[in-house]
Amino acid sequence: MPNEFLWDSCLHFFKDNLPPQQFNSWIKPLVFELKGNQITLTAPNSFTLKLVQERFLPEICKRAEDFLSGPPQFDLRVGKKSLAPTAKKTTSSTPDVAILFPKVQKSQNKLNPLLSFDSFVTGKANQLAHSAAIQVAEAPGTIYNPLFIYGGVGLGKTHLLQAIGNHIKHENSHAKICYVHATNYVSDVVRAFQTKKFDEFKQFYNSLDLLLIDDIQFIADKPGTQQEFFYTLNSLIDSHKQVVITCDTFPKEISGMTPRLTSRFSWGLTVAIEPPGLEMRVAILLQKAVLSNSPVSEDVAFFIAKHVRSNIRELEGALKRVDAYSRFHKRLITIDLAKEALKDLLASQNKQVSIENIQKTVADFYRIKISDLLSKKRTRIIARPRQIAMCLARELTPLSLPEIGIAFGDRDHTTVMYACKIVENLRNSDTAFNTDFNLLNQTLRN
Amino acid sequence: MTQLLLDIAPDWIPALDNFVTGRNVELLSALRHALAGTAGERCFYLWGETGCGKSHLLQAVMGQARTAGQPASYASGSVPDKGLLIAVDDVEALDAAMQITLFELYNRVRENGGLLLVAGKVAPSGLNLRGDLRTRLGWGLVYQVHGLDDAEKAQALERHALARGLALPPEVTQYLLRHGRRDLPALLVTLDALDAHCLRLKRVASVPLLKEVMLRRAD
Repeated sequence: MPNEFLWDSCLHFFKDNLPPQQFNSWIKPLVFELKGNQITLTAPNSFTLKLVQERFLPEICKRAEDFLSGPPQFDLRVGKKSLAPTAKKTTSSTPDVAILFPKVQKSQNKLNPLLSFDSFVTGKANQLAHSAAIQVAEAPGTIYNPLFIYGGVGLGKTHLLQAIGNHIKHENSHAKICYVHATNYVSDVVRAFQTKKFDEFKQFYNSLDLLLIDDIQFIADKPGTQQEFFYTLNSLIDSHKQVVITCDTFPKEISGMTPRLTSRFSWGLTVAIEPPGLEMRVAILLQKAVLSNSPVSEDVAFFIAKHVRSNIRELEGALKRVDAYSRFHKRLITIDLAKEALKDLLASQNKQVSIENIQKTVADFYRIKISDLLSKKRTRIIARPRQIAMCLARELTPLSLPEIGIAFGDRDHTTVMYACKIVENLRNSDTAFNTDFNLLNQTLRN
Repeated sequence: MTQLLLDIAPDWIPALDNFVTGRNVELLSALRHALAGTAGERCFYLWGETGCGKSHLLQAVMGQARTAGQPASYASGSVPDKGLLIAVDDVEALDAAMQITLFELYNRVRENGGLLLVAGKVAPSGLNLRGDLRTRLGWGLVYQVHGLDDAEKAQALERHALARGLALPPEVTQYLLRHGRRDLPALLVTLDALDAHCLRLKRVASVPLLKEVMLRRAD
C-alpha cells in the first residue's frame, strides 16, 4: 500500500517538523491521491496550493522517490475535499498502527540503502562480525539467533545492522523488516502503554521477519521495556525469525539489565567490533572518498587516518572537512592541504592525549602509582601496565620510540618495541586483556 | 540633574553580514551555502572559546532562515522541539534527557533533511557528552570559530559604535582594547555603557569617560 505509506510518511514528517498551526493550515487540508506514479494533491484554495508548491513539494517529492518505482509526477489542483472520496479516505483514516508507531513505520521503509555489505570495509577489527552478519543475512533465523554485535561508538555496528536488513530486503522484498533504535523502542512501549494499545504493539513486533535493534544498552534500568522486549525476543526466536542486536558492551556487562535478558542475548552468537587499525582506517577513508565523489590519494588518506584515530564517524568528518576546504580554496587535495584543513582539529586533539595523560590513565586503571610505571621494577603487576602504556603512547602520540622510552624512566627504544610486540601478542591470545586495552584506548581517545 | 535616556537604542540583530569575519571566511561561506541549501551537508558543529562569535553565527543563520519564511529555531543549553532548521548552542550544558533528544534530532536531520547547527566550547572529541552523540557531532562538518585579533576587534567595535550613532575616537578604542576584558561580547557591553554615559552627560566619547564607565562597571 504505497499510497497510504507515502502520505503517512509525509504527514508524520511535517507534523514533526512544522509548528502545529502551519501543519493544520497547510498540510492537513490537502487531499492526496496516487495512481501509478501520478500524485494528485488537492488544496482547498490557490493560496495554500502555491505555498505547498513552493515550500513543501520538494520534501514530498523526495519521499515519493523512495516509495515509487519511477520518478513521481505531480498534479496540483484546487478543489473540495468531498470531491475526492478515495483520497479523503487516505488522509482521514490513517491506520492506528501507523499513528501509534510512526518511527517504526518510517524506519521500516527507511533502511539506508547505502549501508550495504559492499560498502562495509573489513579488517582484522571487524572480520568476525562481518562474517557472522553475512551468514545471518543469507540464512535468517536459522544459524545465529539472536546475533549480538558489540563494540564502541562509531565503529560500524549500525552499518552491519542495516547491511543485514538491506541484504534480506533485496533477497525477499516481502520480508517484514524493522530497524529500530532502542530509544525509539522505549518510546513505542511508553506510547503503547499510554494509549492502551499493547495488542497492536505486540502484534506489530511479533509479526516481523527481521528485527534489527540498535544500541540495546538504552533499555537498561527500564524494567517495563525489558519485559516487553523479552517477550518479543522469545516470540521471534521461537518462530525462527531473526533478531540482530547491537550494544556498546558485552551482554553480561550491561548494567541495569535483567539476567534473563542478558542470558537470552548470549543464546545465539556474540561478536565484537574493535577499533580499526591504521590500515583499515586508510581503507575506510579511500572508500568513503570514492563514495562522495572526491577521491583522495593514499598518502592523504594515510595522513588523515594517522591523525584521526578515535572512531569512524570522526574519520569521515575529517574527510568532509578536507573536501570542503579544497572546494572553498579551489585547490587539489594534497597532504599540505589536508594539514591546513585539519590544523584546528589536530591541535585540539594533540592537547588532549599527552604521554602524562596516558601514564595517569593506565596507572589509575591498574591501581598502581605513576612512579611505579617509571621505576625500574620488573614484576608483572607493574611491567604489564607499563608495556600497555608504552604501546598506547606509540599509538596515540606523535612521539618517537626513543622519546617514549625516555618518558618511561629513561628506557631504551628497543624496550618500547618489545613492549609493543608483547602487547600485540597478548591482545591476540587473551580476550580480557584485549578488552582492557581497547577500553583504555577509547578512554584516552575520547 | 541627570539626563534621563529613552530606551530607543537600535536593536542589534545578529546577522551573517554584521559578523566581523576575521579568519572565519570559509566558515561564513559554508553557513551561507547551508542557508541556501547548497552545502551538501546538513549537520555542522562550531566550536571555539567563549566570546568568539558562535552564538552570533547560530542566531544569524536561524534569524535569516526565519526571515525567508522557513521554520527555524535557536536554543542555548536545550534542544528546540520545532523547526526544520535548528540551532543548539552551548551543547555542553545539555542534560541527559536533552542529549537523547539531540541524538534523535541528529538522526532525523540526516535521514529526512533540514539543517542542524550545534555549538560548543571544544572540538567534538573533547565533549563530555554521550559517546554516540559526541561521535555524531564529529561526523558532519566541523569548524573552529576563531576569535578576532586586536585589529579586527577594533573594527568590530567601530562598526558597532557606528550602528549606535556613536563617534568612537581611535584612542578610546585602543584604551578599551588594552584595559578591557578580551572577549568581544564584554567589549561591546562596555561600549554600550559608554554610549549611554556620553548621552547622559551630552559629551563626546573620550578616554576619561571610558575610564569612568569601566570604573563604575568594575564596582
